[in-house]
Amino acid sequence: MPREEYQVPTTSGASSAGAMTRGATGGERHDSRAVMTYICGDCGGNVTLSKDALVACPHCAGRVLYKERTKRMVQFEAR
Amino acid sequence: MAPSRHAAPSAEEHLRRNTVGINKETVSNVSSTDFPGHFPGEDHAFSIEHFQSAFSIQFHRNEANDASFSLIGIDASLANAFRRILIAEIPTLAIEDVFIENNTSVIQDEVLAHRLGLVPFNGGREGIHNFLKWYKKPAAGEDQYANSFDWNTVRLELNVTCTVNQDAAPTENDPLKAYHHAHVYARDIVFAPTGRQAEYFSGENAIRPVNPDILIAKLRPKQTINLAMHMHKGIGADHSKFSPVATASYRLLPLIHITRPILGADAEKFQKCFPEGVIGLEPVTREDVSKAGSGYEGHLGEVKAVVKDSMKDTVSREALRHAEFEGKVKLGRRRDHFIFSIESTGQWDSDELFLESVKHLKLKCKKLEQQVINMVQ
Amino acid sequence: MPGRTKTQDDASSHDADMQDVPPSAQEAIGQDAEMREDAEAEEEEEEEEIEAQRVRILPGSTDTAASFEFTDEGHTLGNALRYIIMKNPDVEFCAYSIPHPSEPKMNIRIQTYDGTAVNALKKGLSDLQDVCDVVAEKFWSERQSFNAEQGIER
Repeated sequence: MPREEYQVPTTSGASSAGAMTRGATGGERHDSRAVMTYICGDCGGNVTLSKDALVACPHCAGRVLYKERTKRMVQFEAR
Repeated sequence: MAPSRHAAPSAEEHLRRNTVGINKETVSNVSSTDFPGHFPGEDHAFSIEHFQSAFSIQFHRNEANDASFSLIGIDASLANAFRRILIAEIPTLAIEDVFIENNTSVIQDEVLAHRLGLVPFNGGREGIHNFLKWYKKPAAGEDQYANSFDWNTVRLELNVTCTVNQDAAPTENDPLKAYHHAHVYARDIVFAPTGRQAEYFSGENAIRPVNPDILIAKLRPKQTINLAMHMHKGIGADHSKFSPVATASYRLLPLIHITRPILGADAEKFQKCFPEGVIGLEPVTREDVSKAGSGYEGHLGEVKAVVKDSMKDTVSREALRHAEFEGKVKLGRRRDHFIFSIESTGQWDSDELFLESVKHLKLKCKKLEQQVINMVQ
Repeated sequence: MPGRTKTQDDASSHDADMQDVPPSAQEAIGQDAEMREDAEAEEEEEEEEIEAQRVRILPGSTDTAASFEFTDEGHTLGNALRYIIMKNPDVEFCAYSIPHPSEPKMNIRIQTYDGTAVNALKKGLSDLQDVCDVVAEKFWSERQSFNAEQGIER
């Protein structure tokens, strides 16, 4: 998938990230970007971080957070 | 042009012509010579009657996934055509598209898709051979699923999530015991019949992996694989996952000719130069001794080396490396005796495959014959 | 890395559900027969279309000395056909070549003493079919008797 088509995974669903250029800020877009969900590398729990939050898992204090995988279906040729 | 009555070569001469010489450092007499005009006064024109009487087949082994037989009295160009068709031109069904919904395992999407593609599948023969037809990829811009129908696409699913096994001891170190679904095997793939597929692929005819124990991925708790697959028909020339055979090969029948007696300790050493069962040891008989000029005179009762089963030989040429056998043995191969070995991957039976390759070559020629007629018009 | 802990159901932002991906263009079974007929009719038309000319005579050929170009054929047919044409006593010379490995083309050169090169090619193709018949027939009868002997039932 080309990088331009990548959509930031969000829980709200109503995202216009497809049209978003890198570094775009302001308005609604800012909101959808402001909260991101990550996965804790230690406990596997969901971690939501706001813009200036400390990078750490609130449950186990693990500091390794992974980005979520895209929720799109990705197609491959078995070759 | 040619005389009406042709001389036929003697059986001895025929064998000499059809023997490829295996010498110490060279191979000799490798090309076929059975063409008209090659030997003056001999007729080598093609005739189907002559081919029919000279050609024969011997079976050695016939199991579903492993067959071995000899084609005797056929040229390498034809035997090779059958072999090539077996590998590259007989259609089979294999996973072609993988739609990955979620994959949080450590194995990357594209690697996972590739692994899935190589898994051999089996299913109802009638359905696979006759009901399922070719799939044509939609053209660019066309709807991606415009050409997908129940008669050319088989849908499979794979949904596995690894979880912690609560019953396991807390100190358990074996992931297979500590977790559920720590390994994803081919048996976890689920066939999802659509349309008329239920008629052809139900019960024991269901589309299923040939070997349920093929490892596809390894998981740890909370990792999940969630995907669907489309299978299509294809040929080995396009991608080897479509090849119906694991191996399809032939070798020429080895010949071992002991020209002068090999006796006593030499005979035992000679036996060790070949794989087991190729060379036998027998006592020199009264009959051998009485034959003048045979070299056995005065050796009554000693052991001699005899060729028991040359087919088992691997033609290692070990016997040619020892001075004591110099001039006593000749190695060769029968140029027109092909020992085929076909191992099917499971979608066809091995013997059925060979027959299919013969049919395939015939069909090819038939189509091209029509094309040649069209060309001339 | 641990897996995603969210269940499938709460993932409301799926861009494409697998349900949207049809394995088969038809949905209702009632529609099936109709659709299949359409599809088959279409396919037959296509097959006729596919029968494009795959053999041609190369320029510079005469009646008794001609080169033919086969598209989408390779060593499999080339060598077998070369052998069987060489067995024809009217043929002075026959050889095949694949001029370039990345072009799906195979050339056959035929020069004859008697008759035309085209007829030699035709005879070669029909002889090859006869050979296939003999091989298939002998293979089958041999297989049947071997299976009976060994008690293999398949």
